[in-house]
Amino acid sequence: MNLAIVLVIAAVLALSIILRLAVTQSLQAKRSANLAGAIRPIDIEAFRNLINPAEDEYLRRRLPPAQFRLVRRERLRAMAVYAQAAGRNAAVLVRVGEAALASGDPRVAEAAHQLVSDALLLRRNTTVALARIYLALAWPNSRFAAVRVVDRYEQVSGTAMLLGRLQNPAVPVRLSALS
Amino acid sequence: MLQPHSLLWHYLWVAPNVLLVVLAFLMRRRGLHREFPAFFCYAIFEAVGGIAIYAIDVSPSISGPVYWWSYFVFLVVEVFVKFIVIGEVFTHLLRQYPPLGRTAKALVSAVGIVLVFAATIVATHANPTTFWLISATRILGRSVSVVQCGLILSLLIFAAHFHLRWDRSVFGIVLGLGIVAGVYVAYWALMTEWLFGQRTYLLDFLNMATYHLCVLIWFYYLLVPQKSATTSAAPLPENNLDIWNRELERLLQ
Repeated sequence: MNLAIVLVIAAVLALSIILRLAVTQSLQAKRSANLAGAIRPIDIEAFRNLINPAEDEYLRRRLPPAQFRLVRRERLRAMAVYAQAAGRNAAVLVRVGEAALASGDPRVAEAAHQLVSDALLLRRNTTVALARIYLALAWPNSRFAAVRVVDRYEQVSGTAMLLGRLQNPAVPVRLSALS
Repeated sequence: MLQPHSLLWHYLWVAPNVLLVVLAFLMRRRGLHREFPAFFCYAIFEAVGGIAIYAIDVSPSISGPVYWWSYFVFLVVEVFVKFIVIGEVFTHLLRQYPPLGRTAKALVSAVGIVLVFAATIVATHANPTTFWLISATRILGRSVSVVQCGLILSLLIFAAHFHLRWDRSVFGIVLGLGIVAGVYVAYWALMTEWLFGQRTYLLDFLNMATYHLCVLIWFYYLLVPQKSATTSAAPLPENNLDIWNRELERLLQ
């Protein structure tokens, strides 16, 4: 009897999730305008400082254990905010790339394909990084690095720049900043 | 009207199967059977099997145990066919996204293990009936629907998390299968526990109506052509590109 009730509740939840995803899917297909405007800027240097193991080590040596845990948790929370923003940006970039995939220009299509691949890997890395950040929040003394997220973010940024340049050759794009 | 062997009852049992035959025929005419061979086989199997089970049920010369044996065999084969269709959907979705192949396989393995474990627990909690085959059918239906619903749900959540773009036909197939699986979980849970007593036939109506709806969903997504591309492949507006550029420069400082 109890199991049946649990299963019925689970089924209702599953059905509502399926229907919600179906609605989201159809709405998402209609909302492709102004995708680039949805990108949130990220201070990558600040993020890099946050995830620098040398800084963590320095704080560990300098601070009493209780205070270190407090500071480390604050840094981890800040890290989580950055990782979430990077993940959201990656999701937007997936959609930007998807929209450009239909382009008749093979160079644009190739750049779009590369952007989608890189953005998907970034999204995966941010998901894993977030899981590890939340784990580290429970256990602040653990060592953990999210360098792959930063590296992937830079790679995705470069691909997005290339796609933008291919789509709008008339607009000057300062590629020197990439080198 | 909501009585076994009423006109509505006959309609809800027969109509989806007839519609599936039409769907399979139209899929073949449009060459979709080559793109979705597993779903094409599923449509034919469900149509033929469903009509055969219906004929056995309404035929006065066939005994109850024969009906239950036929239904049990049908259910066992259906389980395998549905898993193959779910596999086909996975393949179609991930074919466009090779970087996610390993992540998806790891997810399916992990979710699969958890679901099989859950299904085993579900199978061990059942009220036996006087005829063991009825209990076996219900336990099988309940356990398998839990696994299938879980797999489809995880696939949908996975795609939503990564913002993957669904092919219209694939999305239609997975949406129909997901709704059927979700309703089956509730249906088999209530059937196994015999919670509706003599009014169990009401669940049959709900189950058959849902299945009919899902067949119509498959018709719509597989056969009705998509309206002109909803996502534009046009270049990004100049203004947006400037913002984009500025933000990326900030990132790369």
